[in-house]
Amino acid sequence: MRMIHLIKGDIVFQIKYGFYFLYVVFTVLYAFVLVILPETWQETVASIMIYSDPAAMGLFFMGAIILFEKSQRVLNSLAVSPIHISEYILSKIISLALISEIVAMILAVISHHQNLIMVFIGTLLSSFIFSLLGLIVSTKIHSLNQFILWTVPVEILCFVPPLASIFIENQYLMVYPMTHCLSLINGKSQNDLLSILIVVIMLVCLWKIAVYMTKKMWKSVGGVHL
Amino acid sequence: MIEVKDLQFSYNKNEFIKEINFKVEKGMIFGFLGPSGAGKSTLQKILTGLITNYKGHAIVNGVECKHHTNAFYENIGVDFEFPTLYEKLTARENLKFFASLYTHQTRSIDQLLESVGLQNDADKKVSDYSKGMKSRLNFIKALINDPDILFLDEPTSGLDPTNSRMMKDLILLEKNKGKTIILTTHNMEDATELCDQVAFIINGQICAIDSPQNLILSHGAKQVTYTYEDNGFKTANCLLQQISDDERLHQLMQQNKILSIHSSEPTLNDIFIELTGRTLL
Repeated sequence: MRMIHLIKGDIVFQIKYGFYFLYVVFTVLYAFVLVILPETWQETVASIMIYSDPAAMGLFFMGAIILFEKSQRVLNSLAVSPIHISEYILSKIISLALISEIVAMILAVISHHQNLIMVFIGTLLSSFIFSLLGLIVSTKIHSLNQFILWTVPVEILCFVPPLASIFIENQYLMVYPMTHCLSLINGKSQNDLLSILIVVIMLVCLWKIAVYMTKKMWKSVGGVHL
Repeated sequence: MIEVKDLQFSYNKNEFIKEINFKVEKGMIFGFLGPSGAGKSTLQKILTGLITNYKGHAIVNGVECKHHTNAFYENIGVDFEFPTLYEKLTARENLKFFASLYTHQTRSIDQLLESVGLQNDADKKVSDYSKGMKSRLNFIKALINDPDILFLDEPTSGLDPTNSRMMKDLILLEKNKGKTIILTTHNMEDATELCDQVAFIINGQICAIDSPQNLILSHGAKQVTYTYEDNGFKTANCLLQQISDDERLHQLMQQNKILSIHSSEPTLNDIFIELTGRTLL
């Protein structure tokens, strides 16, 4: 029950800070671009769009969320409440995944994507991964500038190899978990189960790191400053 | 309710909290007084389970703090010095959200808002609140889960005299309900009025622990200050207990030269300075 309240709380927070409004605008914009493209391009472009924005939004927005919570000292209160760290993280990544999925499915339908189930699974897993990466980075930062700086290497690592894999056939690129995320979204994975397995293994590793980092962040707050 | 025994903690090689011992009984208001960096913040972090790598014992509500589970927080309320609220949410939304984190029945949001005079601003965004309103909201947020133990950090800071009085009355009301309250404050008047016991903390050690009244009576003496006319205004002091020995005062009284006479007793602040050699600021 608490989990549902937490997710609801995060969604209200995201609505109040305009995340939903922003993605209504983006979705209209992306849909317009897709519609004017030749039909043969639509699916590939939609997959790149889904992977690089709605799926990846957690990387950027998690930083904003944590920075707001830090600046408003809400983390202090959460640290001395009965919520578990896993509940806190889960509610954030699920609430962000909800936006990712809504936008991704709209774009997939507009682009007449052949495999909507894989778009759903690929977006969900990618969204979780990007949100966890965003969380891990934001536990260490105290300003937006720091966050932008720290996300640059993460962006390079997460976007360059998967996007390159669309245009270049390279076996090494196919070992990389983020390439499998994009493969699942564009329905080009040679083995869906293997791709899901690789991504889930990465997800579990990131989850462990995120729990450890969040615990550390919580322990650094909650005291009085006298 | 709270028992701290041989407590030691260090952030690095140097010992920061040194052999602290004290007990807080149920229904008591216990005050921590000390200058910045004295160790009060660290002590509060230990008692609220945020620091777990300490030596000795810190038992809160029957639970050793380093071994606590998340259920430990069901019966604890913490009012931080600075507001810890979602600014874009209204007061009611904030209280509703924090109430939803607890498994047991929480207090009525409307009654809590009314108790601090915020009922008419309940649906206003917290970002539109004044500093005093945020402090009051922060206070009732700590009460939302009806906790057995309350940690209050400078609860009257930034409040006008009327709201400060209201806040102190609410704290006393919680005490009368049997709540145990840990108060951290710089305000000696608040500590004298509210606390059953106070602990002076300096350099990670408790250097005095007693009721404010006992500390004042045992470490200070009442004084009489008088002014008189003798080629201009002059002022003199004597101890109240030795007033009959002050011959000058007798003479001045006989000559009707006394212009004013006041008695005073040392404040908790005077006792703090006397015992620690430091001020609280």
